[in-house]
Amino acid sequence: MSEKIGKHIAIYGKGGIGKSTTTSNISAALAESGYRVIQIGCDPKSDSTTILRGGNDLPTVLDTLREQSKVRIEDISAVGFGGVLCIEAGGPVPGVGCAGRGINAAVELLQELKIFEEFKPDFVLYDVLGDVVCGGFAVPIRDGLADRAFVVTSSDFMAIFAANNLFKAVNKYAPSGGARLGGVIANSILAAYAPALIDDFAAKTGTQVIGYVPRSLVVAQSELYGKTVIESVPQSEQAQVYRKLAKYIDENEDSVIPKPLNSPELKKWAREWGDRIFEVETGVVHEMASI
Amino acid sequence: MSNHLEGSRNSCALHGALQLFEAIEGVIPVIHSTSGCGVQHYLGVTRLSGGNDPFSSPPVSSSNIAEKHVVFGGGSRLREQLKNTVKVVQGDLYAIVTGCSTEMVGDDIPAMAREGREQEWPVVYANTPGFSGDVHHGYHLALKALIEQLPGIWKRKGEFQTRLVNVWGIIPNQDPFWRGNLQELGRLLEGIGLVPNLLLGSEQGIAAWTQIPEAALNLVLSHWGKLPAGLLEQRYGTPSIILEGAPVGSAAVPLLRRLTEQLKLDQIRSEEFITREESLLNHQFARLADSYYRAGFQREFVLVGESAQVTGIGEFLGKSFGLLPRMLIITDNPPDNVQEALADRLSSIVSGYDTEVIFSEDRAEITDIIKTSDVQLILASSLEREVAVELDVPFLALSFPLDDRIVLDRGYAGYRGATALLEDIGSSILAFSNDRLFC
Repeated sequence: MSEKIGKHIAIYGKGGIGKSTTTSNISAALAESGYRVIQIGCDPKSDSTTILRGGNDLPTVLDTLREQSKVRIEDISAVGFGGVLCIEAGGPVPGVGCAGRGINAAVELLQELKIFEEFKPDFVLYDVLGDVVCGGFAVPIRDGLADRAFVVTSSDFMAIFAANNLFKAVNKYAPSGGARLGGVIANSILAAYAPALIDDFAAKTGTQVIGYVPRSLVVAQSELYGKTVIESVPQSEQAQVYRKLAKYIDENEDSVIPKPLNSPELKKWAREWGDRIFEVETGVVHEMASI
Repeated sequence: MSNHLEGSRNSCALHGALQLFEAIEGVIPVIHSTSGCGVQHYLGVTRLSGGNDPFSSPPVSSSNIAEKHVVFGGGSRLREQLKNTVKVVQGDLYAIVTGCSTEMVGDDIPAMAREGREQEWPVVYANTPGFSGDVHHGYHLALKALIEQLPGIWKRKGEFQTRLVNVWGIIPNQDPFWRGNLQELGRLLEGIGLVPNLLLGSEQGIAAWTQIPEAALNLVLSHWGKLPAGLLEQRYGTPSIILEGAPVGSAAVPLLRRLTEQLKLDQIRSEEFITREESLLNHQFARLADSYYRAGFQREFVLVGESAQVTGIGEFLGKSFGLLPRMLIITDNPPDNVQEALADRLSSIVSGYDTEVIFSEDRAEITDIIKTSDVQLILASSLEREVAVELDVPFLALSFPLDDRIVLDRGYAGYRGATALLEDIGSSILAFSNDRLFC
């Protein structure tokens, strides 16, 4: 592989957890700071970059590959907010074909097209469907494609479960040149216990939370307008949260090989938190304990 | 800890299924896989089974899927391939078989077959990814597909035929002598008044397969024939006679008598037939006697092949021909309980003489075993020719893979098969002795 151009960051997270919104806002914040950014959606849903492009259509890499033998960069990319180059890998319709192989094929094509050499990005963000269900979804963190991976999670158990799965994949590939873990982005923070729960999971797995993104109406509104928060409400507190995340990713190179929990450990950890949350909600007072 | 395997003679499930479908007249297989699967079947299987492969290239329809079919699913490619195949090749039945990649992707093969049937094309399917098992498993998958799906295409009235016998367990090409063996078994069954339903080979087409439920009996001639017999017993209550290998020479007598008794045949006719066959075989033995003693045919031998071949041929050579089975090496990897039973049965073919029964599909291991065995005759596959040359002993290739013989209708089963064995083994020994005499 030729010398890597720009910092390559993979952002994983369970489907529907807000990882495309988070990634797009980070891309927008980086672009706002003057960086050249490429965002590549690696999800068959193909909606990673929608809010960077005002909701316009963008042919996916795989659809284009299927339709035409020769593919050009301009066929499969669009310039979005702040000059962010938006690309969607795409994939098959649900229940058909192999989405994992699709990610592989799309990434191979991007390398063949020398997209990084042409665009000369400072940052490349891969927004990847996060359960890492098969080898295809691990492509961005394998073979040294991305330098660091971040995981977006809420305090829901299934989101934590998906994050733990990503840790397993990072743990497997990092020693042989794959991406290391940059940290956890805590998203949709609403309940009082959520930051503590995610902090605890990060501590147990040897990583850290790099930012807390509160659940906010501004995000939902901006999305309905087909925009990032950075673009639609640049002065909002929420925009500041994303800028802080972008700044961290820009300035901080820390990364670890996480220590994922095994299945019984994860279940035990979840049960303990279940008990704790129940006690908080129902007001159980333990002797010598303060709540 | 796993061991490496060299030169296995057991190809993949897709090939096992293909071999079965190709052996039925009028059946057109359609491979749904990458382009290599069909070619590999030709290069690695049919071409190495006695030289009776189709001329020059594998004329098998294949969807030859590419990456886009993996990513987006290959269902539509198969639909198109099936439509084109029906247009171009006239057949009685189209049989879809699948390879590893399309099964990994999870293409909906039953739906494609159903679509074909809705257009009134006779289509069956078998999911046969190579990773699901070896050639024997593929044989099973194809048989299962036919037994379960054919009644949905052709609904026969199904009048019971008291003399009809289905024959199972001889795997086309994996037994290079399958055509001759089936023909001889058919002749023996006809000899005692039965109607053989051989199912594979010349003049064996869909008509044979649709009358399977009407048969009075299933005759199973290897471990691998037990599955279809079991399925038919469940579905139609057809009883079975199960043998571990096709009988060679006089080993046919107990089978013919059992059939006569079980199916209430004319006993006098059967005994007359047996007497005629026995006396002809004895006559052959007598004619062979001079060469037998002059060239020293009575040798310790090693026999390498599938369990059915090793059982049938090994017992004939040991019990009737006076040869000494030093080692029997079984390559088709039958399940543990069958291995135990075979080892038990075959270790004492000749009274007072121990036969070593070995199970291996590893060419390197088989070669090493033969090298250290002091045998005087090697009956094996073409893979063992090298070690025979090295040991400087007579050699006859008779099991898969077979690259130095043409097999059209020669067989080693039954009485005619026994005669053929005497001829071929005798010729090998004589040719070997003469070479050394005159060189």
